Amino acid sequence: MTEVVAMASVKDGSSTARGPATFALKNVGQETLVVATTVLIFSLCAILVSGFFTLANISTLARSVSVLGILGVGMTVVVIGRGLDLSQVAVLAICAAWSLKLIGLGYGLAAGLAMGLGFAIAVGAFNGFAISIIGIPALFTTLASGTLVYGIGRWLMLDGIITYAPENQPLLLALGQGELLGIPIPLVIFAAVALVGHLVLSRTTAGRFVYAFGDNAEAARLTGVSVRVLTISQYAFSSAVAFLAGLVTAGSVASINTNVFSSSLIFDVLLIVVLGGVSLSGGRGSIASVLAGTALIGTLLNAMILLDVQGDVQNIVKSVVLLGAITLDRKLHPRDEETARQGDL
Amino acid sequence: MTTERHEEPMLRVVKGTKVYGGARAITDVDFDIGRGEIHGLVGENGAGKSTLCKALAGAITLSSGEILLDEQRQVFATPADALKAGIVMVYQETSLIPTMTVAQNIILGREKYMTRLRGMYIAAQQLLQSMNFHVDPTAMVSTLGAAQKQMVEIARAVHHRARLIIFDEPTATLTPEEKLHFFDLIHRLKAEGVAIIFISHALEEALELTDRVTVLRDGECVHTGPTKDLTREILVRHMVGRDLSQTYYADARKPDIKQTRRKKVLSVQNVIMGKMVRNMSFSVYAGEITGISGLIGSGRTEIAKVVAGALKRNFIYGGMIYLNGKPIRYRIPRQAIADGIVYVTEDRKLNGFFETMRIDENIYVGRLATPEGRSTLLSRREQTRVGTEWVQRMKIRAINSRAKIVELSGGNQQKVVVAKSLVQNPKVVFFDEPTRGVDVGAIQEIHDFIRSLAAQGIAVVVISSYLPEILSLSDRILVARQGRIVEEFSAAEATEEKIMYAAIH
Repeated sequence: MTEVVAMASVKDGSSTARGPATFALKNVGQETLVVATTVLIFSLCAILVSGFFTLANISTLARSVSVLGILGVGMTVVVIGRGLDLSQVAVLAICAAWSLKLIGLGYGLAAGLAMGLGFAIAVGAFNGFAISIIGIPALFTTLASGTLVYGIGRWLMLDGIITYAPENQPLLLALGQGELLGIPIPLVIFAAVALVGHLVLSRTTAGRFVYAFGDNAEAARLTGVSVRVLTISQYAFSSAVAFLAGLVTAGSVASINTNVFSSSLIFDVLLIVVLGGVSLSGGRGSIASVLAGTALIGTLLNAMILLDVQGDVQNIVKSVVLLGAITLDRKLHPRDEETARQGDL
Repeated sequence: MTTERHEEPMLRVVKGTKVYGGARAITDVDFDIGRGEIHGLVGENGAGKSTLCKALAGAITLSSGEILLDEQRQVFATPADALKAGIVMVYQETSLIPTMTVAQNIILGREKYMTRLRGMYIAAQQLLQSMNFHVDPTAMVSTLGAAQKQMVEIARAVHHRARLIIFDEPTATLTPEEKLHFFDLIHRLKAEGVAIIFISHALEEALELTDRVTVLRDGECVHTGPTKDLTREILVRHMVGRDLSQTYYADARKPDIKQTRRKKVLSVQNVIMGKMVRNMSFSVYAGEITGISGLIGSGRTEIAKVVAGALKRNFIYGGMIYLNGKPIRYRIPRQAIADGIVYVTEDRKLNGFFETMRIDENIYVGRLATPEGRSTLLSRREQTRVGTEWVQRMKIRAINSRAKIVELSGGNQQKVVVAKSLVQNPKVVFFDEPTRGVDVGAIQEIHDFIRSLAAQGIAVVVISSYLPEILSLSDRILVARQGRIVEEFSAAEATEEKIMYAAIH
């Protein structure tokens, strides 16, 4: 009984913005929490970690989080629509490497990029098809399609583990290494992708439908949303964004190492998305919150590298942060038994 | 209680009351059953039969009142407690575990620390044979038919030394022959002194099988007596004999019968969908409210969903649906909505509204999903306009149209769901249980709104389990039973008795 009263008071607190001064996590919002934590950690690092608050390091930090952030934008769109895309890293590695190889073979920059992008979108469309029309849970679909793409790429499309960027393509390298008015180009691309993602989600009908579908898929269908087209578009967008992230990666080190597939990159992407407050139950979250998550994780990783923290310990820190963020998500947005679907995360 | 029983009742419920969040499911129900008695429990959907039985089986606990077993007060906190006391409930959808064998299911919950497979199979075989059940104890439950599953459930109950077995609609899934076997079994259990509660919509079965019958209506026990004094007519009268002083329905009856038939908008002909809709035919007219009554499982919700594109009828021999004389077949609801057919869901929480959104956002999503409301970019102004307009038209009680939908009461949420569909400018509207879980004032407002829709010339179909609702709203009443429309009444000739009589077989 006391529980009920407590819950009711929390609900009241959130409904009236300037309600009683009862402090509840629900009133704060995860975005604010994450931004506050980021500022806190950033200031701590700036004071305590030598070499952190220098222009060179901040620039490195920005470059290193850009790829993560770009992937995060794609993942955010999918997760808001109550999905998950684990095939992003495979698409990043294989499609970008294939593009480099084709350009190197003399197909020309435009044609090479177009074919890589086309392949990426095809993978995304396949994901969406398998999830919405065949009905395989997103987790398994994208896990399998990622491995499939990686396998096909390594077997049929690429020659070795590492694909090098063709030498006479300065534009490609500029994607990863260049600067625009002193700002690293990867960061510019990240900002552009985030802006596009934000506008699509908050200003277009398609974006509103993504939220509606993530909130209540059957209600969206009954209301007249074409849920299959929507799902396929979501995953196609996520894959296309992953391809772009691949190009940025390729540009920065003039090559693509397909072994990135077996790294924990996808884990980091999920980390920033969940940390930013995009609920795995769907329908909640925004690009802005993902930016906050990216900043937090970027700062944390950079500081740990500067402090020369062992890789294993870094993994432990990341895991604990992810578990904490998911626990918070569960607390803030408890999954309704009635609306839970089979195959839900 | 005037029965000539020879002994004290085995189990009694005294003033049993169960309250679900303010709504009373059962009120002061007295119920008793003796050893070897077969007791029928009948009533409309929502009359409280399941609530009473779930309380006996420990699935829920009573809010007040007590359960006495052999005159000892019992508190069943969990089904396991009830099981220990010898009370087993056999649910409509079986509770067997499909991936286990018959024998494993039978001993489930009574395993020893070590269970020898062979010993278990022999014991199960003996048990099944003693009851004359022809079921292979080593067979996987998923391979069994409905009747065999029922047998396993019963064997399990016997294995647990049940003294009282509660059957919830046991015959619904059985063929006539299986039904005979089942009745035979019930009589054998009775001979062994097992008490049996038999919930059924099939009144003939209840009359044939039981010793006594209890009738529940609106959560109250309205009749208990020996079966031999009862007929089908008496039972039906007890089931629907509602107190007509419920004023907010009484005045609503329209005296004028429409002189001329309006234009036929929708014509459903011999539509078949799986096992739920078997050969459904009816027509819907512009400016008229067509009520569809029927029990749960009669196919009334399914036919509405088929017409509105949410379900697909059988591809071959699926029948025909005509909209203004043009044959239609929808793959997804979007197409139906584009043609002006909308379905307002029966369960708003499950698939009605978007809980993360505000009132105006919810309604605006409905608008965006129509061909005329479509646009690539969102328009704040349009969203506000649509929100404000419908908050006024539906009399939604909220601070303004920007309030979050989860903060509204059930009635106001329902109004938002209705608005979300009506903003799509429909020509045919299906309301499925439009006032379920809605407070009295909102019921009246929703009813007024539905009438005003019909007055505007929209074809309205109202599906409801609640007979007074159907009677007060409808110009014409269709009764569905087992996937067919079996009766049609005009508003003038329909009574609760007639509808109920037609709805139960």
